[in-house]
Amino acid sequence: MARTFKIGVFDDEGKFISSIRSLQEQKFRIFDVFTPYPVHEVFHLLKRKSRLPTAAYFFGLFGIISTLAFLYYTSVINWPIVYGGKPFNSFPSFIIVTIIVTILTVTIASLALFSARSKLFPGRDNTIFDLRATDDKFVIVIDTNSLDKSAIGNAGNIMEEQGAVEIIDKEFENVES
Amino acid sequence: MYNRKIRGPLIEGNKSIGQITKEVALPMEMQPGLWWYIAFVLSSIAAVFGFYAIYITVYKGIGTWGVNNSVAWGWEIVNFVWWIGIGHAGTAFSIFLLILRQKWRTSINRAAEAMTVFAVMSAALFPALHMGRVWDAFYIFPYPNTRGPLWVNFNSPLFWDFSAITAYLIISASFWYLGMLPDLGTIRDRTTSKIKKAVYGFFSLGWTGSSRQWIRFDSLSFILGGIAAVLVVSVHSIVSTDFAVGIEPGWHTTIFPPFFVIGAIFSGFAMVMTLMVLIRKVYKLTDYITDNHMDAIARILVFISMIMGLAYLTEIFMSWYSGNQYEMFTFFRNRITGDYAVQFWGMIVCNALIPQLFWFRKVRRNWIGLLSVSLIINIGMWLERYNIVITSLSKDYLPSNWVSYSPTIIDIGVFVGTIGLFATGVLLFMRYIPMMAISELKSVAHIGNKKED
Repeated sequence: MARTFKIGVFDDEGKFISSIRSLQEQKFRIFDVFTPYPVHEVFHLLKRKSRLPTAAYFFGLFGIISTLAFLYYTSVINWPIVYGGKPFNSFPSFIIVTIIVTILTVTIASLALFSARSKLFPGRDNTIFDLRATDDKFVIVIDTNSLDKSAIGNAGNIMEEQGAVEIIDKEFENVES
Repeated sequence: MYNRKIRGPLIEGNKSIGQITKEVALPMEMQPGLWWYIAFVLSSIAAVFGFYAIYITVYKGIGTWGVNNSVAWGWEIVNFVWWIGIGHAGTAFSIFLLILRQKWRTSINRAAEAMTVFAVMSAALFPALHMGRVWDAFYIFPYPNTRGPLWVNFNSPLFWDFSAITAYLIISASFWYLGMLPDLGTIRDRTTSKIKKAVYGFFSLGWTGSSRQWIRFDSLSFILGGIAAVLVVSVHSIVSTDFAVGIEPGWHTTIFPPFFVIGAIFSGFAMVMTLMVLIRKVYKLTDYITDNHMDAIARILVFISMIMGLAYLTEIFMSWYSGNQYEMFTFFRNRITGDYAVQFWGMIVCNALIPQLFWFRKVRRNWIGLLSVSLIINIGMWLERYNIVITSLSKDYLPSNWVSYSPTIIDIGVFVGTIGLFATGVLLFMRYIPMMAISELKSVAHIGNKKED
């Protein structure tokens, strides 16, 4: 299904941000913005939040518990061996392996979650609205499907006023929100 | 560490962000110079020599090495610890400086992380070969097996070491790759060649630079950075317990973990400096890797060098203070004087004395000075590991067990091979991957320049 979008291209971070502000004041819903580097003000304006740290915390908890459980199972239940007269459950020397495996678990699980949530994996073909967004341009994309003609024109005017270097109307196939 | 009001801008020349993309991507888009091909051939020859030595080692066994019953750990463990130490710099750079929000890391972290990955790969070869039967190396994985199931000894530092290095390799490689995603996207969008577009498109995983991707990217970098910082400290501490848990004189000391971690960061920073001096010279990237960057690394090196000197003195003092005759013998009769005096004094001169030259601004601002001191530090760190491994083993408690050690051509071959492997990896990195984190450079482009300050 093809959808139409209005794309504003900026070459200045300040103009780009004030344009997002004005669009939001006029109650336009911004589909997404694309920047060459992370712009923190954008995250506040578009109310983007990441729950990855919370998830990572639980991955860590899972890593610690499962590693300790595994070490306990192998060393005490499954095949206990006395090493140098030490107890089967020699907890202090289990700590090191637990730390390492926990870190590994958090890393791999967080990466997997990141890959799934951001839709980034090998062979993935995300819609690129403007090629220059990874170079030196800041790009605002507005979904114009549910807007009437005057609103579309208005959105363009706002971005133009704020100093967009280019305004493009374009259709894209298979865009995921 | 880096005060921009005193030290000037992070990126010189008041560059626009478009210019940054262009200039950093340039080395990948032009044909490499003749020097690149010559270096590539040389490092490949070294790698081939290494593969030959590995072939002999695997085919005939580790009897082809210089190791014997007393000195059971020879060059291979020396080289293993040396490479792991070098491998620490990338993580130290990108992660400690990321967490401390030191923005000057941006021009250097990519290359430092690349170095980490190749160095850890080189390092991991040695313990695997040292097992003798490398095809049975998988026995060290704790998996349910038909031998009992007999599990590995989770109380052994050698197993900790295995898990630490495996984890370190996986994590540093994924941290490196994660940081690369936006730049691979940039290259994909810039290039006009179809093959390149497909390849970089595949590896950029569909990066678009949307706000959703960026915020998750940012928070994931901090998560990985935060937990990998623990790993940096723990990996080399664990390597040190390989020694410290053994009861050899000269090994069995509590100073080992911090001593090893500091030593690792020392040798790693020195290797970063070696590479950076060459990269900025060859690719003329002095606007990005400024004199101030090199100055900052040199200052860190002179500081760490003093810690190293203190650690050496502490070791010697403790061996005397303990009153233990074996410790005293190892330090005073075997290292300071005796068969291994050359290596010991070489280590002191290279690691504790020569880096003091970095007190002088002239040396810190001179590329030949930087390059030679950093190479000397690398040699010194190798000698330090030689000191630790060989001197303690060759003369321990029983004089009837005393032997001397010298490497064979196969030992040397494996070492030269890993240097070749490392150099080949770095050369390929220079050619096919953006050498600096382009997106991060863009976010610091204005610092110290124009409007701000």
